[in-house]
Amino acid sequence: MAPVKRPLARALLRLFAVQGSYNYERMLGVGVGVAEEPLLRDLDDGKYRPAVARGAQFFNAHPYLVGLAVGAAARAEHDGASPDQVERLREALCGPLGSLGDRLIWAGWLPFLSGLTMAAIALGVGWTAVAVFLVVYNIGHVALRWWALKAGWTHGTRVSIALHHPVLQKAGALLGPAMALSVGAALPLTTAYLSAPFPPWARVGLAIVAALSFLALRLRGDRVNGLRLSLGLAAVALVVGLIWP
Amino acid sequence: MTLPIELLIALVVWGTFVGVDLVSLPQMMIARPLVAGAVAGAILGDIPTGLKLGVVFELLQYDILPVGAVRYPEYGPATVAAVATAHASTGVLGLGLGGLVGLATGLLGGVTINVLRRVNSRIVHAASAQLESGDPGALVRLHVGGLLRDALRAALVTIVGLVLAWLARPLGGVLSPRGAILLAVAIVGTALAAGAAGTLRLVGRGPNLAWFAAGLGGGIVATIWLR
Repeated sequence: MAPVKRPLARALLRLFAVQGSYNYERMLGVGVGVAEEPLLRDLDDGKYRPAVARGAQFFNAHPYLVGLAVGAAARAEHDGASPDQVERLREALCGPLGSLGDRLIWAGWLPFLSGLTMAAIALGVGWTAVAVFLVVYNIGHVALRWWALKAGWTHGTRVSIALHHPVLQKAGALLGPAMALSVGAALPLTTAYLSAPFPPWARVGLAIVAALSFLALRLRGDRVNGLRLSLGLAAVALVVGLIWP
Repeated sequence: MTLPIELLIALVVWGTFVGVDLVSLPQMMIARPLVAGAVAGAILGDIPTGLKLGVVFELLQYDILPVGAVRYPEYGPATVAAVATAHASTGVLGLGLGGLVGLATGLLGGVTINVLRRVNSRIVHAASAQLESGDPGALVRLHVGGLLRDALRAALVTIVGLVLAWLARPLGGVLSPRGAILLAVAIVGTALAAGAAGTLRLVGRGPNLAWFAAGLGGGIVATIWLR
């Protein structure tokens, strides 16, 4: 097999745009095919095009962990796995990569750092907090994308080994509590920060609106979401504000 | 809102980057309202307003868990439009009007994301034969086309948001001071509720709930201590 550093780097760069053609038919499939293609270029002529076509089939997972499937499928193609095996591998990875990424990133790393940043802004740190958020978040983001691609390429069809990596397990166990703690602490601090310019009567009003809205979102979350509720109440407030001298 | 053309262009360019970052490229979280708002504030020379609106929409963002093909509002370009609105007003009025314009833009952004995905689906479906043949050129063209459409979508959403900001300008003159406060209370109150409810959905009823309660307690103590 030819040296793979350059194709891996190309695949990594393309992975940053893996959702560029997101659609309801193949979901991330086209983006996955585009990312996998550099890793397939040294296959024989008769194997290259069918492998590219397989790479672009339906696929859905967390975007940061898609590299694991891209690397594993490309490696399996190189190792001479049958088309059925490659397709089964891709199918088997969709669910675990989705749930692991959602737990680690969308429900862990991102809200954890976002909560810390909101708290820092409320405490007067200013734009520096946002800059630190961007840098720290992306250290984790890029590291995860690179690790996923390399792990997939290393393990091929035995990629499930990588999913049980102790660092992933530990990160999953730590990020849940850390996220809960940071956002929990941020909520009262941001309340004070946002309500600072309000007069006392408006702060009482804010407490009532927040409490009733919270109940609506908790009890009627299937029908009401934050945007609709906020727009609805803003419209009512606007009308009242226009007629209340 | 009357801004020099170079600032408007800078806001549209920034809003486009922000909109593309949400899903397409590179998902480095400049689409988060905290970042989108801070930079929009910096463009306008008004970082405090950018941070304040950024926090409001960041709280609303907690209402969303972007898993699978779930549909959600787009708060990145919305925050840019909100900051542009708030910059033209003062104090609480800016918070309320900015929030209102941002919410409308966020709703529009969410609709356009869904439309774009449907358009992409049709185009991908039409190109099935080329994809099945494993033509790498066709694959890349299809993908780059999707990226460009998303960039166009994000630019349009930002432009419409800035137009809404301009249209909202007369409201500042007709709203009474109490009315302005009421509008801000409605938006900030629901944002705080969305932030709390969304976080509790992530936290669940397991052991993380105790950590959330500990954080909440610590935050309350810190808030009282700092008053």
